[in-house]
Amino acid sequence: MTTLFDPSRIPTLQQQERIRPWNKRTKKFDVTVALAVIVPLLIVVAMFQFSDIPDALVMVIYLPLQLIASGIAASLTKGKRGIGDSIIIVNAIGASIFSFVVIISVIWSLLSHGLKALSIPFLTQNSTYISPSTPLEYGGIAHAALGTLLIVAISALIAVPIGIATAIYITEVRGKAVPYVRFFVQSMSGVPSVVAGLFILTTLILTGAINTSAFAGGLAYAILMLPTVARTAEEVLRLVPDDLRTGALALGSTRARTVFQVVLPAAKTGIVTAIILGVARVIGETAPLLMTAGKNDATVTNPFSDPISTLPVSIFENVAQPYPDAVTRAWGSALILMVLVAILFTTARLIGRNKVK
Amino acid sequence: MSTAEFEKSVVALENEFAKAAEIRPIELETRDVSVWFNTRKVLEGVNMQFEKNTVTALIGPSGCGKSTFIRTLNRLHELLPGAALAGEVLYEGKDIYGPTVDPVHIRLNIGMVFQKPNPFPSMTIRGNVLSGLKLSGMKRSNHDELVEQTLTSAGLWNEVKDRLDHAAGELSGGQQQRLVIARALAVNPHVLLMDEPCSALDPASTLKIEETIRELSKDITIVIVTHNMQQAVRVADNTAFFLAAEGEPGHVVEQGKTTDIFGNPQDQRTLDYVNGRFG
Repeated sequence: MTTLFDPSRIPTLQQQERIRPWNKRTKKFDVTVALAVIVPLLIVVAMFQFSDIPDALVMVIYLPLQLIASGIAASLTKGKRGIGDSIIIVNAIGASIFSFVVIISVIWSLLSHGLKALSIPFLTQNSTYISPSTPLEYGGIAHAALGTLLIVAISALIAVPIGIATAIYITEVRGKAVPYVRFFVQSMSGVPSVVAGLFILTTLILTGAINTSAFAGGLAYAILMLPTVARTAEEVLRLVPDDLRTGALALGSTRARTVFQVVLPAAKTGIVTAIILGVARVIGETAPLLMTAGKNDATVTNPFSDPISTLPVSIFENVAQPYPDAVTRAWGSALILMVLVAILFTTARLIGRNKVK
Repeated sequence: MSTAEFEKSVVALENEFAKAAEIRPIELETRDVSVWFNTRKVLEGVNMQFEKNTVTALIGPSGCGKSTFIRTLNRLHELLPGAALAGEVLYEGKDIYGPTVDPVHIRLNIGMVFQKPNPFPSMTIRGNVLSGLKLSGMKRSNHDELVEQTLTSAGLWNEVKDRLDHAAGELSGGQQQRLVIARALAVNPHVLLMDEPCSALDPASTLKIEETIRELSKDITIVIVTHNMQQAVRVADNTAFFLAAEGEPGHVVEQGKTTDIFGNPQDQRTLDYVNGRFG
């Protein structure tokens, strides 16, 4: 005899509650974990307050103390197997908190110094007729922000296509020169940024081929951006499974179509990451711009004609001035630079989101 | 009472005893198990009992929740994002989803073999067999004996005994699958879950693995998902037929002895399915 499903039970079954039993914890577990967190903290606070142990040493003691406490908690709740897990968890959380604190303190110092500089004129005006001693109410860094955007755009226009093409040559074309290309790309990523600036200065600007301008700055940036884009793109293209390539080829696709319609779309998020990393590599670089783009208090929109100011260069210029207002301007510029980066990356992520057509 | 009649009653009595001996304790049991992915209910009210040292086949068309169900039996389901569950899964009478239960312990006792053979590519054949011991921190003496014993149980020993230190990737698909079975056996599980273990294999390898399953069922309880109905007939003591109507969660439409499911099903849909008329 077989057993049949009884359809009359469906209404009862539909009343079942949707739960995640694996997230349920016992009270004992919660209490032990809470104790494992609180007790070492209390000990450390007590050592800060009531003992002569140097503060630095107390902070060093904290990690092993927390490890021991978590180990005991783990062995009480999960048995011997839990101890190893607890060591990894404590270290991971500790490392995360550490990097979080670092990032927050960077952002905090930018905000606390930079917010003072922020004002409508600061965001909309250039620095024509502004000297380092001019009060904060006058002049702004709009021209420098524009310069940075212009130069990054030029360098991305040059480096991203070449970088992705390089990656495609290495992973998709797989030509004879692959080992050499990879070698040169790797060597290129070791080029110091100042050398990239010098190169453009001596070969193009001093020979009179181009002016000190946004274009020259963009070329110097492109030299720095190219290896980062190429190597990251290569890594992500390598992650695309070969089944996709053979699948497309088996449909009668040409190799070029396979690359552009199957492989690259599959790696889209990764390619966007490659571009982001490339931009992140260059956007704060100052040395090459000093030599190639120069500085200019006025707003420049023609990328070929005149020297142009950028955020890193104006930070560099201002921070060395003996006037507090100039230093505050530098902090404000740094804040704007960071906000620009954040906006750029968020937009890139939004564009790069995987959408299925 | 004549001699003939007496003999007849003795035979009847013997049959009774044989039947009584066949009743086995229940090792694994599910009670009203329903499974969700986010808000989509994929499985509803599964009540099954897996007796000790039997083979149970789960059959049914694609997308009816068989694989999802088998993954709830050793707590692999919860690793998927959005996974949720209702009901109870009892292993040796205790709910494996209880708050004090360590999933590692459950998975150690309830092993699993997947559709695609997944030997660890960086390890040798021997290393793969012993990997479970290393990964779970289990101590067992005499590794050589264990390797030979599990590979023999998985029906692979004769083919690989001279190249135990070769990379596992050198083996063919069927051999890899048997290696993975040996790997699962090395940690000495009480239950082995198999999710379409033969779907990527040729008939000869399939036959070998089926022999292995029959052999293993003397010592462990096996649950196997299969799309191959002949396979269910060949290896399984019991069979459960899963089915999901369009846009509705899957149910176990009918379950029972394999011979009954295939020979004398009560539900028309089961009859149609086992005769290959749909699905």
